[in-house]
Amino acid sequence: MNKSMVVAMWDIRNALTVKFVKYGIVLAAVFGPALVILTVVGMALVTTPTVFNEVIQLILPYMSSMLAIFAVIPTTMLAANALVGEREQNTLEPLLCTPLTDRELLWGKVLGSALPSLIILVSSVVIAEVVTNLFLAILGYPLILVPDLPGLFLLSTAVPLTIFAIVAVMILISGRVTRVYEAYQTTGAVVMTFIIPMILPLAGMDDSGIVDVGMIWFANVLTLVIAIILFAISWTLAITRFNRDRLISLV
Amino acid sequence: MGAVRIIHLTKNFGELVAVNDMTLEIPEGTIFGLLGPNGAGKSTTTRLLSTLLKPTKGTAELAGHDVLREPVAVREKTGVLPEESNHTHYPSRSTYDNLVYFAKLYGVPEEEIEERVRTLLEFMELWQRKDDKAGELSTGNRQRLALCRALLHNPSILLLDEPTSALDPIAAKRVRELILNLASEYNQTVFINSHNLPEVQRMCDQIAIIDEGKVLLHGKMEELRSTLYSQQRYRILVHGDVNAAERIAKSQEFVKSSKTEIDSIVVEIENPVQNNVKLLKAMIDAGVNVVEFSEEEATLEDLYLKVIKGGAQ
Repeated sequence: MNKSMVVAMWDIRNALTVKFVKYGIVLAAVFGPALVILTVVGMALVTTPTVFNEVIQLILPYMSSMLAIFAVIPTTMLAANALVGEREQNTLEPLLCTPLTDRELLWGKVLGSALPSLIILVSSVVIAEVVTNLFLAILGYPLILVPDLPGLFLLSTAVPLTIFAIVAVMILISGRVTRVYEAYQTTGAVVMTFIIPMILPLAGMDDSGIVDVGMIWFANVLTLVIAIILFAISWTLAITRFNRDRLISLV
Repeated sequence: MGAVRIIHLTKNFGELVAVNDMTLEIPEGTIFGLLGPNGAGKSTTTRLLSTLLKPTKGTAELAGHDVLREPVAVREKTGVLPEESNHTHYPSRSTYDNLVYFAKLYGVPEEEIEERVRTLLEFMELWQRKDDKAGELSTGNRQRLALCRALLHNPSILLLDEPTSALDPIAAKRVRELILNLASEYNQTVFINSHNLPEVQRMCDQIAIIDEGKVLLHGKMEELRSTLYSQQRYRILVHGDVNAAERIAKSQEFVKSSKTEIDSIVVEIENPVQNNVKLLKAMIDAGVNVVEFSEEEATLEDLYLKVIKGGAQ
């Protein structure tokens, strides 16, 4: 585990030397909570409490999906650098010559790719909840959960699974792509899973614009099921393919 | 017991047999040179020994550890300089950071890392460049950095793939001195994979010549010379008509071969203790002006060309 952390920390620092990764991560960490805060507080400023209570139900599913997308994006960048980057830089062979076991190396790569996203996810939720409610309290509004309960369910289940699934997908495609940027684009498609909880609740909206809570839950559970399937398939394949012989064939 | 024991080692890539039933034993403290043409299986052998590849058949032991059963222990005991090692650094990280990272992965105790890295960088004259990004170093400096990395954990066996290929003559000499020093003072075993025949001849105690994955010849240089050259070779430097000297040499039945060069002939003589005097007398009687008559040692290049062109006997 200790050596895995050495690999993870090295991979994170290494990725941060690439400008688009560094600024991408900073933007992802800032944009998610900033969007939630600005949207909710802005709405409170321009509407009446009655309108606010109606519209917020429509907006909240978007808020949790936005936080999910911004939390997942850093994993695509970091995993691309950690796995395909080693190949691009020809550093895989000396790494495999060290006494690292395959398991230590795998854990290092997984932690290095997933940890920043998990930290961004937790901190985004905490910042969004605290800062939004601070402003709402100042404006005389009652405290609300932002993200709400279905949103927190999505963020605490589907998002971590998707983060780890992206790492597995990266392991799988690392033999097929040679450039970090190609890998980043390929796994970027996985992020699109979180469009489902944004769009599907709209199907349950009635004529007066009220969103059916059941449909929100359904959309989030569906997203979780997709995340579980993606996680299970990608890791089943990735574990069988993450071995020394295959890695050295990439050198 | 040998520091490196290769036992019926075989590696197939589909139909291609890259290493074919190789058996070798390299004693501790030996500097060993593995020679062969391109595609002979040298790099595959090095990769099998460094546990990067698994053998199809057979095995190898390094420092008493089996590459199949104890790969982690093998990697702990070996330092590897990979092929084209000057391109194997993290280019955006500093020279110093590159080494610290690998020191941690090799399990060098935390409190020793700084001192170890500093000593190696100073030895390789890279200390002044410690804060430079590895990608900004010259080719030679990157090669030296790769050597530092291979030596970080004081390995008992060094596997070096073309160790001086990217170095200027002065740096190459320094690396050769380092390798000789490691073997003599620290009893480290050095396995060198090289195309540079004069370098191997200068450094190695033992060599093996391989082709198509098979060992064609293995042993100490002196033994190999006597194996391949049962007749001794002599150079006769002549002032005047070299062709006349060669005609006389060829007329002697104990002269097994002769070759004319600009101002001399090189002859292989059977039983030289008796026959050298006879040849010299014949030449002087014929009026050939012999300036020098000296023994000609077979070089590694001679051995190599004879083995690769003629196959092993």
